[in-house]
Amino acid sequence: MAPTRLASKPIGVNENLNGILYHGITTRSKQLATLKTHKDCLKVPNKRKADSPLKDLTAKRAAFGDITNAINKSSATHDKEKVMAVKKVTVETKLLPTLKSIKQQTTAVNGKSSKAKTLQRVATNAIESVHKHFTREPLKPVATRAQNGILKNIDRKPVGKENQNNSQSSGKSGKSDVSGDPSLYMTALENISPSDSTKEECKTISEKLNKVNLDDTINRSLDEETESPHKVPSGVPDFDLENWNDPFQVSNYAMDIFNYLKSRERLFPIDDYLTRMSGITSWMRALLVDWMVEVQESFELNHETLYLAVKLVDLFLTRSTKTQSQKEHLTKEELQLLGASALFIASKFDERIPPLVDDFLYICDGAYTLSQLLKMEMNILRVVDFDLGIPLSYRFLRRYARCARVSMPTLTLARFVLEQCLLDYALVQHSDSKMAAAALYLALRMKAIGGWSPTLQYYTGYSLKDILPIVLAQNATLHKKPKSAISTVRNKYSHTIFFEVAKVPLLEDSALSS
Amino acid sequence: MQKYEKLEKIGEGTYGTVFKAKNKETHEIVALKRVRLDDDDEGVPSSALREICLLKELKHKNIVRLYDVLHSEKKLTLVFEHCDQDLKKYFDSLNGEIDLDVVKSFMYQLLRGLAFCHSHNVLHRDLKPQNLLINKNGELKLADFGLARAFGIPVKCYSAEVVTLWYRPPDVLFGAKLYTTSIDMWSAGCIFAELANSGRPLFPGSDVDDQLKRIFKLLGTPNEDTWPGVTQLPDYKPLPVYQPSLGLAQVVPRLPARGRDLLARLLTCNPALRMPADDAMAHAYFHDLNPSVKNDRC
Repeated sequence: MAPTRLASKPIGVNENLNGILYHGITTRSKQLATLKTHKDCLKVPNKRKADSPLKDLTAKRAAFGDITNAINKSSATHDKEKVMAVKKVTVETKLLPTLKSIKQQTTAVNGKSSKAKTLQRVATNAIESVHKHFTREPLKPVATRAQNGILKNIDRKPVGKENQNNSQSSGKSGKSDVSGDPSLYMTALENISPSDSTKEECKTISEKLNKVNLDDTINRSLDEETESPHKVPSGVPDFDLENWNDPFQVSNYAMDIFNYLKSRERLFPIDDYLTRMSGITSWMRALLVDWMVEVQESFELNHETLYLAVKLVDLFLTRSTKTQSQKEHLTKEELQLLGASALFIASKFDERIPPLVDDFLYICDGAYTLSQLLKMEMNILRVVDFDLGIPLSYRFLRRYARCARVSMPTLTLARFVLEQCLLDYALVQHSDSKMAAAALYLALRMKAIGGWSPTLQYYTGYSLKDILPIVLAQNATLHKKPKSAISTVRNKYSHTIFFEVAKVPLLEDSALSS
Repeated sequence: MQKYEKLEKIGEGTYGTVFKAKNKETHEIVALKRVRLDDDDEGVPSSALREICLLKELKHKNIVRLYDVLHSEKKLTLVFEHCDQDLKKYFDSLNGEIDLDVVKSFMYQLLRGLAFCHSHNVLHRDLKPQNLLINKNGELKLADFGLARAFGIPVKCYSAEVVTLWYRPPDVLFGAKLYTTSIDMWSAGCIFAELANSGRPLFPGSDVDDQLKRIFKLLGTPNEDTWPGVTQLPDYKPLPVYQPSLGLAQVVPRLPARGRDLLARLLTCNPALRMPADDAMAHAYFHDLNPSVKNDRC
């Protein structure tokens, strides 16, 4: 998502890459290319608005007018736009106007049932905060927590009971995050250290990040009366016992739960499904997943949501291609619809405030209709038989890293490895717990801070021999020549907030085997 | 849909109407929960989505069984095992006082269902008598998972707008979004007292403040000593300082000392000290539980 995507890449190349999926995947870079031809990025939301089924409603909203007004009125708008435009090209940053347009559209759509006044105030605040944000911190993506938190909460129609009540918390997080925003990435850094996560609530996430405790080793006093039911081999610290009095580690159930999750992995096998399909390639899948990571970032979805959605895509293709005739197989034109619907489902399952269906239609740039999306939703649910309790590598990694007490930069490096591997079709068939263990081992070796310890062996249940083939496969993925069309993960983890882990030097295979 | 013959409307769930129905082939009685899917809506409601997914996984004697999900264009139909009544109705049907052995049996089954949920990664988040089903055999089953969710470890922030007011723990009343299995244990404590009092709710508050005051009048107002971190909760507000009242003996007069001890361990304001379900099952109160209840595995 760096400017390299647009600025430094010959247009012809871009077309070639995306041309494969011409009607399939609308990447944001594509959208940006469109924006550029319009010269005035800020007009795009209006253009988009005209396409919206809610046209009349939204057009009448004073608040929506105010968003654009706020942008135009705020001091020296024109100059600032120029400044932003320049920065866009010169600085490693997100695609500002595109994101902004998404957010504005979101406002308009969600505002259909809102009180105009609130919306107006909130929207103006949001825009102001965006401006503040840029004058101070040109390097950060545009969708600040504040903006997202506020905009997402404007009287949105309650989807489930969960969604009715978060204005308060988000409002707070909004306020606290206007100033700086490491909080942007709260979804990935949500669990900085045990002490933080136990003592603090969401509202202080930005403060939390300032207090990042890079050393996870926080010893807790042991309650002598309690006993951990699981026997830990000698020499291995009993993580759950040490955390027995920290309820947020759910220590008394942690071992059961992870054993349970491991036992469920076999229920969700993914096979080499592309061999049964014609017209869809591993490259297209990589583009799709790259786009899904972009969506996860811009909607600030939980990483669990992203991992679940990718799983749903693979599981859907594995199962549907087994039972259906080739004629009924998903076409490349429908691939993005599958990705969007999978994200839609995963959001409803995991997010406190899932984005609305209109948001998902919007990120596909109008390529699909509401009815297509809802049909695909039901189709996926039917194929996976409504079972969304799929064990995810991301969850295993959280646990393993905790038990091994690795530092946040090391955990983040392991997350980068896992996320980069999400894109690689060659790795889809591996067990998620093994993928997590392998990524953690790889990160430990890349940081040269250790190997496969008895602690890790105990908590993962795997020996180095068990995971080594996957370690090497993951390493091969990392060694692949970076391609600009699928650079989202790499760029994301090149950010300082992620400790620039994507820049950690890679290792040769020979350094990993012992 | 042709497979089932609707018999009567049972009630309204979190997101749909519930009917009693009969399987035309097997004559088995089931409960059907209908979820409308409107075209202009958000697709499958997240509460229905979660209930279906979680119940598909949670197969246990003390958790209502989801047999099947039927989908058509405009609606989803969830086919549940049918139970004769819920605990609320059971209370209403009591003539006089509840048998203390029944209290013990129901409580044990509630804890066993909960321990199963918690060890399988699920928080119920809406335990109350209306959501506990009772069948003719005296079996109790957790139902209505419309507010339930799977949790990560360590837990993350979830919604604070969960659990019906009377059964909501003080940490969540103070706006805590970081909570864990202890959230359900408080509700279990409230239900335990309600069982022991033959259906009289323990803390029937009218609003959040009233709810907190009722709790603290009985248990004492928490402070940083008894509950480190309480004043940092998002919606914390200083309330009148009540001393712990004389004790549970007056509140649940019929409950024996061991039962009162268990109740006190569940009704602990500080969530970190609240007793988990598996520990509660091992509590001395259950030592003389009818073995047929105890050994009745799923």
